Formats: sequence, C-alpha cells, structure tokens
Amino acid sequence: MNQRPGVRPLRETCNGQVTLDGSVADLDSADPMVIQNPKGFVHHHTYGGLSKFFQGLAQGKLMGTRNANPGAPEKRIWLPPRVYCPDTWQKMEWVEAPTVGRIFTHTTVLYPGAPFRASVPCPLISVEIEGVCTKLMSYLSQGTPKIGLPVRAVFNTTHPTHTILDLSWVPA
Amino acid sequence: MIRFKQGNLRIPRFGRPVYVVAAGMTDFRKRYPEKSTEELVVEAVRMAAEENDLKVAPDELRGLVNFCIYSQFADHFGDQLLAEARMHDALGFDPLGNIGVKTGGATGGSSVLAGAMAIASGYASCVPVIGWERMDEVATREGNAYIASAACKNFESELGWFYASYYALMAQRYLYEYKVPRDTLARIAVKNHTYARSSPFAQGAQQITEKDVLASDFASDPLTFLDCCLMSTGAACIFLADEETAFKITDQPVRLTAMAAGSHTLRTADRRDMEVLLLPNETPETYKDMEHEWPSFSSFLAARMAAYLAYNAAGVKDPVQEFDLLETHDAFTISDIQTYEDIGLRPYGRGREFIESGDAYYEGKLPTNLSGGLLGAMHSVGATGIFQISEILWQLQGKWAKYHADPRMWKRFGKTKPKDFRNLQVGNPRRGCAVSHAGTGSHVTVAILDKVTS
Repeated sequence: MNQRPGVRPLRETCNGQVTLDGSVADLDSADPMVIQNPKGFVHHHTYGGLSKFFQGLAQGKLMGTRNANPGAPEKRIWLPPRVYCPDTWQKMEWVEAPTVGRIFTHTTVLYPGAPFRASVPCPLISVEIEGVCTKLMSYLSQGTPKIGLPVRAVFNTTHPTHTILDLSWVPA
Repeated sequence: MIRFKQGNLRIPRFGRPVYVVAAGMTDFRKRYPEKSTEELVVEAVRMAAEENDLKVAPDELRGLVNFCIYSQFADHFGDQLLAEARMHDALGFDPLGNIGVKTGGATGGSSVLAGAMAIASGYASCVPVIGWERMDEVATREGNAYIASAACKNFESELGWFYASYYALMAQRYLYEYKVPRDTLARIAVKNHTYARSSPFAQGAQQITEKDVLASDFASDPLTFLDCCLMSTGAACIFLADEETAFKITDQPVRLTAMAAGSHTLRTADRRDMEVLLLPNETPETYKDMEHEWPSFSSFLAARMAAYLAYNAAGVKDPVQEFDLLETHDAFTISDIQTYEDIGLRPYGRGREFIESGDAYYEGKLPTNLSGGLLGAMHSVGATGIFQISEILWQLQGKWAKYHADPRMWKRFGKTKPKDFRNLQVGNPRRGCAVSHAGTGSHVTVAILDKVTS
C-alpha cells in the first residue's frame, strides 16, 4: 500500500479490507433510536497577553492593567485586566492592584455546571476595589458573604489551578 | 464611562415597511427524543404555511421565499456546526441564500432583526426566520455548563459554570439597593406559570402560589428554582415580507414598525457607571435623586439602548399607555423587574410597581407574557425571540384563541386542554412589543409591532 511519507493510519487495513475498531455507540433507546456520542477533546486555550495575570496569581499578586497614556479617558485600573484599552485601543501597562476590597454583591453556587473544580456551597462574590474601574467576580474561601463586608485577597500558590479559581477572598 | 459621540445614537429606520405574515411552532419539552431537529423545524414552518389562513397555498409561499435566516444559540447543544445547512436542506430551500445568526439568548430577536434588515433594504421580499434549540442531548448540569460557556471563560465560567448564579449576583444587589420584597419577584413566576396553563405549546404549565416559589429550593440565593426559566427543546418560525408580498400572502399582516439592538459587556462586573440614557417618557429630573450608580448590576444598558432606539424610531412616547401587550425575556424573575425599568415601564428603582400595581396582568394596563414567557412556556434559546413575536402576531390578528383554545391543538402535543383554560386574547390590541435578551444583558433587541388598519 502506498502511503504518503509521515502519514500513518491509526489502524492498518487487513488485506485491503476496512474493518471497524470494535467500539460501539451505546444506546439509550432503540425507538426512537438515541445513541451516545461522548466527547473528550482537549482545548489548548491561550491566555495570550493576559498570561501575566494568571502567572501573578501563582506568585500571590493581583495584577491589573491601566492606560497610562496622557489623555486616556479612563485612568483607573482594569481588573480583569485588558491588553488594549477598550476606550482608545492603546496598549495598557501592568500594575499591581490593591488586594483589599468590599463585597459588592454575592450568591452561593450550589448546583454548579459539570466542569466546576471547587467544592459547594461556594459563596460567589463580586468585589469592589478602590482605584479599580470594574468589579471583579470571585469567591469567598472562608466566612459568610454580606454586601459591604471588607475582604482581602488570598492566593492559591501551592497547587495553582492556572485558572481564576487561584484567587479567592476572606473577611479582612 | 460611556460617552456617546455623534453617530452612536442615530435612530435606525427601515428603508421600506416590514411585515410579519405568518407564524408556527412546535410545543416545547425538556426532552424531545421522539423528533430530530429537522422534524421540529419542518413542523414549525409547516404550521406557519398551513395554519395561518394565508391566501397562498404552502407551495406558493415557498415560491415567494428568496432568503432565509436561521436562529440557533449554541452549536454545542445540537453538536452540529452548520446546522443551518441541514435545516435549509430539510426545508427544500436550496439553493436560496441563507445566514445563521448567533447572539446568545437574544439570538431569536437578532435573527428577526436580520430578516427585517433584508426586507427593509430591498435585498429580499419574503424571508422565513426559523429558530430552534436542541437542549436535550446532554444532562442538565452539562447543559448548564454549555450555557455558562456564554460567560467569559477566562474570568467567569470557572466560577460555578451556572448562569443562574450570575443573575443571582444581580438579584442580590438589586434587592439591596431598591429594597424590593422577595414576594414581588415570586408574583412574576406565579403569573407566567399560570398563563402557561392556557398554552398547548408550554413546557412549564404549573399551578403555583407565591408561597411555592418562596419555598422552593434556592437555585442560587436569592433566586429559587421557580425564579428561573426553563431549558427547552423545540422550534418556532415567522415569515417576514415587504408590503406587496405581505398583502399577496395574507389580509392580516402585522407591521414590524421598528426594531433595534443594544449591547453591553459580557462580564456584568465590567460595567462602568454612566449617566442614564433617557427614554422619551423620562427627563433629567426623573433621576436627579438617584442614589446608586447606573447601570451597574441593577440595570441592563443593552435593553435601555435598544428601547431608546426602537421607541424613537416608532414614535413611542409612553410605553405603558401605547403598548397593548408585551413579551419580555423573563429568564429570571429579577431580570424581568430590571427590564421593566430599562424599557421605561417605570423609572429605575420602581420596576416592582409594574407588577405590584397589576399593570402586568391580563386585566391590567399592559398584559405581559401572556404566552407564559420563558418561566412558564419555554426557553428553547434560538426559538425564543421568534416564539415571542409569533404570540404577538396572533394576538394582534385577534387569532390567539385559534392557536390556544382548540382542543385539537392540545391533542397534537399529547395534552388535554385543561378545564380551567382561560382565553387570553387581548381585546382589540393595536401595538405590541417584544424584548429579546442575551447573557447578563450582553445583547438585547426591542421589536415594536402594529396591527395594520385599512
């Protein structure tokens, strides 16, 4: 059989005859016929220019960005950070954001969607930080949430998940 | 801070009139394994062609079509990219041009807007807008993960993979800022579940009380499960046409007088405060004592923007007085109250009065979500905005009972018309409004429809 160099079929044909690999689509129901199509693909997702934020979490730092250009209409820190200023499309600069704030609003995650990596109940909070023009969605890893409650950031630096879950807050 | 510049607030206008001539839909179910997506779509389109008292036979209607719009929120759910091509083929519309539209929960509204643009520009003269969502291939917690994929995946999705929680954050803040009793939210759920009992298409017809809503488990505090919309599988379709074609098809076209879109950041928390964009029924005086920042977590700038543009385009001065019926995107009871304010039914902070006053009920000044809405009837995402406009079409045509009261319609979906069925046809309605909404307010469309009087 002629093969293109470097291309190897996953399964070789036997005597030129195509054979199935033996795996079976599981049936939920025969009529109507409902089959199972499992998915297990891995997405290789880049944080791109925002990598510094997630690297910062692993180092115990809360990194935001701000537009330092003269004439920038928004001088405050953006958190979540942005590589480019949405008001001017100019490149932002990285700065360390304050690690204290207040709870702006909250709820509790009890029935998370399938890929959730943390335990429940998980108090979800939105944090208001002085000098930051946005709020920041996060969770309270200790204590009971209440609007106005002062909180401070804590970082999961020992076994980082490399996700936003590496940042959480506790009562200050 | 958003500062509008010249051009940003231009009032959209259609180059020529746009009409809705027919509508069709399936019933909506949590699981619908009996039918493939193509079957659901063909059945909705057939109903539009065969059961709207049209002057043309279904085959003639097909012959008038020159462009199609397909409306599906998430390729994830159907597990089929380019599903548009499958539906187009199943409907036998090849080789006509078509496009698929995607703007989250507002996909249905945006699809109607795209169809209207095609008609209004003269590009097309007859356009079916066809929507569906196949939400039953995965388990509910996997479905919730897919829906939460419509939050920011870097900074939000990992925090719960659950949209109800993202709305609960808004609910908690809104209740704190405006001291709204929890019971008021419950009344919205009761109202819409009750109206759903008179719809053969509805998935969530339930006889419930405010007490039931408050006593049901928290989905995410302060929202209980009965404060949250359904997850549905089904399809809906409307046909849009220009004036000449519309009157060729039906004696009762309804005019889509104006339609507009607005948007705001996907992440609720990224919404910087700004001055309130005023609707025609508001003045700076209305908000001189406003205590809280706007739009923040309590308001949807996208809905305000869409209402601002659509109201100015249609000449709406006072929505409660001028609209005879309204379909809102009541994905959550809290977002319904927020929307009342965004579209000017009450000033900001006073949305509760729209429900508490009785205005929102069948007997009230502006009956809202007589269809049962997303809480009571359906949220088959790509179909939802089209379902809303279908219900308004039939109401404005005075034909609501034809589609809801006939026991054969109930039988078609394996149901029995309930003994306490209520005729929810509004008396001589002239103008209706539909609000289609995505994300935590990332995209919103507002449509204004008028009965055509000769």
